[in-house]
Amino acid sequence: MTWADLPALYPMLIPAATAVLLLLTLTVRRDARLAAGVAMAGFIAGLLALAASAAELSHPVTMLLTVDRFAVVFWGILLFAGLLVSVFAVGYFRTLREPREEFYLLWLLAVVGAMVMAASAHFAAFFLGLELLSVSLYVLIAYPRMQSRAVEAGVKYLILAGASSAFVLFGMALTYAATGTLTFAELFTHLTLFPGDVLLLGGVVMILVGVGFKLALVPFHFWTPDVYEGAPLPVTAAVATVSKGAAFALLTRLLLGVIQAQPGHSTLAVIFTLLALASMIVGNLLALAQGNLKRLLAYSSIANMGYALTAFIAGGDAARVAIPYFFAGYIVAVLAAFGVMTQLSTPEHELQEVEDYRGLAWRYPWSAALLTVALLSLAGIPLTAGFLGKFFVLTAGMAAGRWTLVVTLVLTSGLGLYYYLRVITALYQAPLEGEQPTPPPLHLPHRLSVLTGLALAVLAALLLLLGVYPSPVLHLLAWP
Amino acid sequence: MNIIFYLAAAVAIVATLLVVTRLNAVHALLYLIVSLLAVAVVFYTLGAPFVAALEVIIYAGAIMVLFVFVIMMLNLGPQATETERGWAEPELWFGPALLCGVLLGEVIYLILRMPTGTTLARVGTPEQVGVALYGPYLLGVELASLLLLAGLVGAYHLGRRAPHEEPGGGV
Amino acid sequence: MVPFAWIILVSILLFALGAIALITRRNAVAALMGVELMLNAANLNFVAAWRYYYPDHLDAQVAVLLVITIAAAEAAVGLAIILNLYRRFGTVDLDQIRLMRG
Repeated sequence: MTWADLPALYPMLIPAATAVLLLLTLTVRRDARLAAGVAMAGFIAGLLALAASAAELSHPVTMLLTVDRFAVVFWGILLFAGLLVSVFAVGYFRTLREPREEFYLLWLLAVVGAMVMAASAHFAAFFLGLELLSVSLYVLIAYPRMQSRAVEAGVKYLILAGASSAFVLFGMALTYAATGTLTFAELFTHLTLFPGDVLLLGGVVMILVGVGFKLALVPFHFWTPDVYEGAPLPVTAAVATVSKGAAFALLTRLLLGVIQAQPGHSTLAVIFTLLALASMIVGNLLALAQGNLKRLLAYSSIANMGYALTAFIAGGDAARVAIPYFFAGYIVAVLAAFGVMTQLSTPEHELQEVEDYRGLAWRYPWSAALLTVALLSLAGIPLTAGFLGKFFVLTAGMAAGRWTLVVTLVLTSGLGLYYYLRVITALYQAPLEGEQPTPPPLHLPHRLSVLTGLALAVLAALLLLLGVYPSPVLHLLAWP
Repeated sequence: MNIIFYLAAAVAIVATLLVVTRLNAVHALLYLIVSLLAVAVVFYTLGAPFVAALEVIIYAGAIMVLFVFVIMMLNLGPQATETERGWAEPELWFGPALLCGVLLGEVIYLILRMPTGTTLARVGTPEQVGVALYGPYLLGVELASLLLLAGLVGAYHLGRRAPHEEPGGGV
Repeated sequence: MVPFAWIILVSILLFALGAIALITRRNAVAALMGVELMLNAANLNFVAAWRYYYPDHLDAQVAVLLVITIAAAEAAVGLAIILNLYRRFGTVDLDQIRLMRG
């Protein structure tokens, strides 16, 4: 590593340095707003520094990381999500009767971990990034530790994520025994040369268990609904966006080349196809029965990872556009949905049930409108980001002739429409006769903070922009 | 040399089996420590004394002390004295002590025959590992330090006294 | 020397026992012990691979060092969360802690 390598890493080093800076400011002054401001400044500076990284493409930085266009695009998505989650957290945690400053410090570190995963070229970087993300998330999930549900969710995530990390590590050890290398590049060589090596395949499959857990693919999804429900809303948004984005970026980095190089019915391709089919079907079916919006979004995210996996299995140039585009759309929509929920909630009283949102449009028309657009985008309705994302995924799937996946995607999306529309209908229903209109917590301010309003407006604009005018983004995504 | 490996591996497996089957958390923890010590001996027989030392110091030492500490805190209650009495019972410490005795015998044997040359490898001395850590793995070391920072801040936040608990009260 | 397969077998057994501890133990602390056992089994695997196949690489020992660091961080945070679990619920029995469906 030399000084010349540093500029490429600035987008990651700046949030990391900000975390240390934040620690130092805490020794001088404990102030939640100041801490949030420092964290946001760190994320914004990281986003600005992306320009420096983008200038030097395909830049290996030591053997651990590779900063290429793909990494830069995902870094952008992750930093953006990081910034917005911090904005949401400011409003959400305002009633928390506990120190709130450490939240932002841990959140910065979690995003750095996610960024390491998205750029990793070596198992050591992969594992360290994964653990940095996981360990921070354990604490973030259980952060409001006076809330029993948050602590319960924290313990569940701790034990299951710990087990999945152990699977990843054991898989790495087996892979190392089989190949003698820890770099992704050499793993690729070995996997294409010896696709039938049992030790190697066993190792890769164990790594997939861990990645599948982070992506909540069926059958590794059991933790998802409980953790989504119990975690504080901004952290739920983080688990749904940053954690999944990082895991998918890593999966792409690790295995997209292998899937493409191997014949269409290789063991790995079959495994991935089964995971994708199961996730799409089970995710959408279980979402149908949910009365809790957080759990509904949990199952919806399971199904969405199935869609993304479809593009991954298809491979080819189409997938190289489809995966980042789909993720950009998915993450913006999820952030918008959780953003609206967050600004109506506090740690002590979260609006979780679909019933709580009945008649929202009559009290908060703008919030209801944004939630509507976000849900429509998740459902894949035209003119929204989600539609184009799904469209690119379908194109990739058809180009590769993965008809089973394509047909399942279309059918299950139709199913998905039903439960999203159920929520949207509730938003516009008149409040129940004879009852008080849904009381959002009384201590809520009746105006948004400027910052939250701005964040929600940006999300709304992006949802529509990504849905109707894709060419600037596609240009950015043209992934060498 | 082989017999040393087989014996240590057997101790590791038996101890781990007992970790799974002992219902009392303290019993399970004692066997977990034995299991880690046995794996350390296996590392030693494989010719990795540095890793073996780390295993004993950090894993069986530092991390397990954390576990002991937390189990002790969870045991604060009416039944604490009862548990205290239970710790003196021989059936609790006899098993771990026996397995540790086997490991101790192995280590003594290994130390005694050391001058005639064990399978110490040429690569893998602490110095070389250190050079690798601060060479190609430099970023990894930095990330590990961030991870420890996250662990530290996280444990600090979660471990601090709850707002409504009066000072000195409770776990 | 001992055949490589034996060492892999031992490490797989230790990993499986750790996984069984994780699944069957209802005590949260014991479940966390299972995680530690699984991580430790992977370490054994790394060292064995180094010794038998790649004696002039340093990767395995570096990996073990990093894994031990990670295990320490994970244990510290995990135990802190379990302490909070005890404060909230008065127990660390995972079966008794079910506020949420599923």
